[in-house]
Amino acid sequence: MNSIIIGQYIPGKGFFYRLDPRTKIISVLFLMIAVFMLENITQLSIALAAAIFILLIGQISIIKVAKGLRAIFVLLIFTFVFQIALNTEGKILSQATLHFNLYSVLAIVLAFVFWRILLRLGKFKFLLFLAFVFGVYFILRYVGYGTDFYSFSLTIYEKGIEMSVFVIVRILIIITFTTVLTLSTKPTDLTHGIECLLRPLKKIGFNSEDFALIISLSLRYIPTIFDEAQKIMAAQASRGADFSEGKLKDKLKQIISLLVPMFIIAFMRSEELADAMESRNFVPGQSRTRINVLKFSMIDVYSGVFTLLCFAGAIVIKVI
Amino acid sequence: MSIISVKDVSFSYNEKKLGLKNVNIEIKKGEWIAILGHNGSGKSTLAKTLVGLLEPQSGEILIDQVLLNDESAYELRKKIGIVFQNPDNQFVGVTVRDDIAFGMENLCIPREEMLEKIDFYAQKVGMKEYLDKQPSNLSGGQKQRVAIAGILAMHSDILIFDEATSMLDPYTRSDLIEYIKTLNKEGLTIIMITHDVNEALLADRMLILNQGEVYAFEATNDLLKKPEVFRECHLELPVALEVASKVESQKIKEKLWEYVLTK
Repeated sequence: MNSIIIGQYIPGKGFFYRLDPRTKIISVLFLMIAVFMLENITQLSIALAAAIFILLIGQISIIKVAKGLRAIFVLLIFTFVFQIALNTEGKILSQATLHFNLYSVLAIVLAFVFWRILLRLGKFKFLLFLAFVFGVYFILRYVGYGTDFYSFSLTIYEKGIEMSVFVIVRILIIITFTTVLTLSTKPTDLTHGIECLLRPLKKIGFNSEDFALIISLSLRYIPTIFDEAQKIMAAQASRGADFSEGKLKDKLKQIISLLVPMFIIAFMRSEELADAMESRNFVPGQSRTRINVLKFSMIDVYSGVFTLLCFAGAIVIKVI
Repeated sequence: MSIISVKDVSFSYNEKKLGLKNVNIEIKKGEWIAILGHNGSGKSTLAKTLVGLLEPQSGEILIDQVLLNDESAYELRKKIGIVFQNPDNQFVGVTVRDDIAFGMENLCIPREEMLEKIDFYAQKVGMKEYLDKQPSNLSGGQKQRVAIAGILAMHSDILIFDEATSMLDPYTRSDLIEYIKTLNKEGLTIIMITHDVNEALLADRMLILNQGEVYAFEATNDLLKKPEVFRECHLELPVALEVASKVESQKIKEKLWEYVLTK
């Protein structure tokens, strides 16, 4: 089970790999706040340029970040559609009646089938999707023969386009920042960084060391538990269980028959682990020395200054 | 002078499930003890009471002349370490280095010292090249070695193996046993819990538990001449001992006993 990668971490040697995780976490937080303070598209495009610049000096491939964006692709489309349909400020850019009739619905079905077939080719999936969406729009707009059984008028305002682009660019920038963080930081370093940053909370009774230990133990046991799940599935498959077919009800039953033993084994494991930890003198909440220590270096100072400049810049723009 | 003395210890999990009943044992420093017994005989319970994971309802345990209780457990665990059966369930760290460090971190040993000790003990158990490896890339035997290194680094001089070899393949198993032999030669006290008589024959003395009670606690030399003891406790005899119990000739018997001990 060596192939399971937890998180998005990709080993590398660029600038960001040498940064202290604490610097990275704080910087991402501040840069995100700064991005949220920007108010128009010009300012945002400068920020986008800055984000791309960050990617370039970090030698992080833009393709990998783009892959990270795939997860929120649906969110972006929704944002776009909602902004265009619901925003009614500014000049009217276009006004059109969308027709739903026998021909247009048939055409949409055809377009859909065509799109699914082209998808099988496996290339340009994103472009194909965009082409399909625009295709549907043009069909609804121009196929006006016969009697409509439903029609409505779609008005696109200037502000709608502007806002949708604005929101999408903002999300893109923020995702870029967080992707850089998760791509270049090992999960263990990330938890260690968070632990250090949360340490002041000890005063109000939150023990960040124990919290970090819990997270790193969970990370440590994910491959082990995964292994176990596969063994149980194999054991059940050898007795005739089929996880891939059957009705939804049957599938749910199968999943329960997998989950119950998984839970029991996990509990037994954790009990043994607790014994092992206790026998090695672990006492929850007690202070311990650490083998892994985080150290700030000069590049952390430079990055910190850069972040502060960006943050200050955003405040200045906001105030003026 | 005994390093471990167990005086009249009884422990039960609940009314139905009995763990230990009036156990009395003395173990000397540098000895190799095998604790034998079939499932449910109380072997693991005894091991857990020795490291203070379970508190006996009556009786007392002295380790190095110090009474084991809640207050002294922290100090005493520096002297006594335990390797459990499942190598996966005791690997705490994300890497080998982190895992060896875990016990020392708990003892608040300064980082520089930890790094030195990790190098030293990783070298000792033959895991130096694996320091940055993750547990999923290690074999069961290697994980057990890491566990040993972690305990040795805490300066324990009593090592308990709670069926630590039972989940290993034959090759890594004999490898680990060879390593335990060298540890014993260096003066460490070894307590090895097993249900494999072959493995127990390596010990100086054997403690046979049956239903929570000490059935026999004798030198291996003497005990292997009494096959009935093993049979009564439902333990499988090695073939050579089985044969020895059947032949009449004293000469052949002695040859077989000798063979069993030198194997």
